[in-house]
Order: sequence, then structure tokens, then C-alpha cells
Amino acid sequence: MPNDGHLQRGNALIALALPAETENGGFHAPGLEDLHLPEILPWGAEYGTGFGKQMLLVLLSIALISWFLVAASRRGAMVPGKFQFLGEYSYSFVRNSVGKDVIGERDFRPFIPLLVSLFFFILVNNLFGSIPLLQLPTTSHVGTAYALAGIVYVFWIGLGIKKHGLRYFKVATVPSGVPKAILPLIVVIEIISTFFVRPITHSLRLFATMLSGHLIIALSAAGSSFLLLEADGLLKPLGLLTLAGGVGMYLFEILIQVLQAYVFVLLTAIYIQGSLAEDH
Amino acid sequence: MNNAVILAAEGANPLIPNVWEIVVTVIGFAILLFIVSKFVVPAFEKTYEERSAAIEGGIAKAEAAQAEANAALESYKQQLTDARTEANRIREEARAEGAQILADLKEKAAAESARITEQAHVQIEAERQAAVASLRNEVGTLATALAGKIVGESLADDARSARVVDRFLSDLESQQSAGASK
Amino acid sequence: MEVHGSLNLIGYGLSAIGGGIGVGLVFAAYINGVARQPEAQRVLQPIAFLGLALTEALAILGLVFSFVIGA
Repeated sequence: MPNDGHLQRGNALIALALPAETENGGFHAPGLEDLHLPEILPWGAEYGTGFGKQMLLVLLSIALISWFLVAASRRGAMVPGKFQFLGEYSYSFVRNSVGKDVIGERDFRPFIPLLVSLFFFILVNNLFGSIPLLQLPTTSHVGTAYALAGIVYVFWIGLGIKKHGLRYFKVATVPSGVPKAILPLIVVIEIISTFFVRPITHSLRLFATMLSGHLIIALSAAGSSFLLLEADGLLKPLGLLTLAGGVGMYLFEILIQVLQAYVFVLLTAIYIQGSLAEDH
Repeated sequence: MNNAVILAAEGANPLIPNVWEIVVTVIGFAILLFIVSKFVVPAFEKTYEERSAAIEGGIAKAEAAQAEANAALESYKQQLTDARTEANRIREEARAEGAQILADLKEKAAAESARITEQAHVQIEAERQAAVASLRNEVGTLATALAGKIVGESLADDARSARVVDRFLSDLESQQSAGASK
Repeated sequence: MEVHGSLNLIGYGLSAIGGGIGVGLVFAAYINGVARQPEAQRVLQPIAFLGLALTEALAILGLVFSFVIGA
């Protein structure tokens, strides 16, 4: 029903994507439409056409991360306080266990800024999904995921060309030690998997996990509230179960959010290392 | 009918991005990347290097202190051993000296006593000689006087009487010595 | 009884089976390798995650097609 979506949108303005009930009183599972608020610029425009909450959160995350990192790094005390320790700990995690271990001790240094910014950007934007009131993992909007993966994509291809020249495409697609007979097949597969599938999966992995986590939490919240408030007497206690499940999923989602930030940065490091490697 | 997926499929496809999102993300990320590479990473790296330098310096300092402490301990032990040897030596010396002193004293005492005894002997001998001499004179005079009274004649001739007495006494002595030798 | 929904989701579910099994195999092998030779972890980690990325690509492609191809 087309006006159903508009109705939901009106609800969503009041309570963030809270549940919903159809006219005939049945349960309506929250869908993608219910997660979307109207845009801010132009005010109240239909979702997907302008500047909205998601972009506001992106800008907020930039400000937060910049403030946090600059404040944590500026002091540079020998014995770090709690705040500085948190910054240094996460920084050295990305620097050492992602950058140094994957790219290699010799030439990982130039890539630290990219890896650190990516990690913190994705981490904070993912965690926005678990912060009450914000409740929106900005990476669950595909534009952000495309943009990040696109930056990385351009970066590692450019890096490969800078390092090997145009020979890079041969290095990247023609594996050594493959029998001549099946070489054309391998090359085609390599081209597809390296230059087409990589950026798509890189972006959509992040996007899909965040979106599904967001939906699951919205679904369990909506289901719990429906069962507790609207359901018939006997079904009401079941709402407690779904509530407990929802809390569990919420905690699990935090884990997934951190993990996805890690996986994204790790894959970035692996791609960079692949561009630097001499042979495939 | 109210299915969300159908709505989603009919509405905006979630895979079609909002261009604004891409623009905002790219610009925002560029700003973040700039801040991180300009301020954050150099600051963190500097802290790292300073800290590792400080730690290495601290380790070196600790090692130096350890070496110093070891040297001090060594020297104390050495001094202790020296002192012990010295004490032993002094004790030995004292013992030897004491023994020496004791021996000297014993010797001196023995010599003294020997000397005293000797002196006593000499004195006794001299007194005996004197007693003998005076006795001889006395005896001579007495005997002469007695004999003169008995004989009735003065034995005033000293020379003769002296001769007689001497003969008598030497007889007496020879008798004595014969008796003594017997 | 009336059933609502999109067949695309069934297709996506099927495509996720393969990806799930594949990711499981990749990490099983990775854990095995690290357990036997902990010092090989640095070498194995990029390979394992590259394998994860390649395997998961299939599931993600399934998701893409479930959205792209109209119901």
C-alpha cells in the first residue's frame, strides 16, 4: 500500500523507526522504509533525495574522531592517562597488527594515516547504530560504503600503477606458475575477481552487515513492543523473550560493528600489500 | 500486502546510493585523512619514539645502576674478607706476642731467682768465711790464753803461739777433712 | 493461508549457504594452521582474510542480485 509508507514515515519522525501497526491491527514488521527519515535539506523531502540524518551523523563522526585523536595524541605524555591510553591502544592496534603485520615492516609507514582514519571512521559510524537516540549505523547507507570502498579501490590501483607502472595490470592478473593452457581462463577470473568483485564486496560487506544488524534490532524492538502492548493476554509474556533476545542481538551487534571495522581495514591493508607485491 | 520487502523492492532500491551520501562521505573522509596524517600520526609516532628511547635509556640506566651495585657489593665483600684476614692475623700476632712475653717473663724470673740464689750462696759463703776467719782468731786467742793459764807461762810470744795454733788448726782441719772424706 | 514475501529472499538464502560453509572452511583451516604452528599466524592471517573476502563475495553477490533483479 503506497500510503502505508508515508504513514510509517510520520510515525518515524516521532519515535525513531518504532513499530508499527497496520489499520487492521496485525503486526507489521519494520522494513527498510521504516528506517528512513525524511531529509533535512530540503526540509522534509522524500528520503533519498537530499541531505539527511545520515550525512549529519557522518559529519558528527568526523568531528568526534578528529577531536578524540587530536586530544589523545597532542599531550604525548610518557606515562599516558586513561584517555591517551585509549587513543594509543587503538592506534597501535591498527598500526601494528593491521599495518605492520600485513603490509610488512619495511614499507607500512606511509599507509598508517589511511588505515587509522578508515578504522576510526568505520568504527565510530558503525557504533552510531548502538548509541541510543542516534541509532543509525551510517555505513548501513550504501552511499557511504560505496564512497569508502571507492577511495580504497582508487588508492590501491593508483599505488600499484605508481609502483609497477602499467605492468601492474599484468602483475595483478597473470599469476605465475600456471599452465599455459588454462591461463586465459585464470586471467579472466583474476580480472573479474580483482577489479570488479573486490570493490563491490568490500563495500557491500560493510553495508549489508550494518543494515541487517540495524534491521534485526529494529525488528526485535518492534516485535517486543507489539507483543507487550498489543498482543492478547497469553502472548504477552513472549514479549519478554523477544526483549531479551533483542538485548542479546544488540550486544552481538556491537561486536559485529567492531569486527566489520577491523575486517574492512584488514582487507584494505591486504589489497595495499597486493599492490606492492612483486608477483601475484 | 504489507510486506516490507515488497515495499522496499517497489520503493528505493537500497543498493542505489544517494549522491549526497557519497559526496559528504568523501569530503568528510578527506578532511579526516588530512587531520590524521597532518597532526595525529606524527604526534603518536613521536610519542612512541620518545617512549621507546626513554625506555631504552631507562634500561641502560638501570643496567648501570645494577653494575654499580654489583661493584659495590664486590668491594664490600673484598673489604670484609680483608678485614677478616687482618683480624685473624692480628689475633695470631697477639697470641704469639703473648706467648713470647710469657716466655720472656718466665726466663727473666728464672734468671732472677737464679741470680738471687747465687747471691745468697755467695753471701753465705762469705759470711761463713768471715765466721771461720773470726772463729779462727778467736779460737787461737782463747786457746792460747787457756793454754797459758794451764801451762802457767805466758805464751806471749805471739809468733810462736800463732804457729802452734795454726798447726793445731790445720791438724784439726785435716782431721775434719779426713772425717768428711770418710 | 496466504504467504507473502519475495522469492528473491529464498534465492539469497540459498546463496548464503555456500558462503557460510566456505567461510567456515576457511577459518577452520586457518585456526588449524595457527594451532599447529602459532608462529605462522602472520603469514596465514592475510591469506585467511583474502579467502574470506573471496568466499563471502558469493553471498554478497547473491544479496546484490536479490535486490537488483525485480521481484
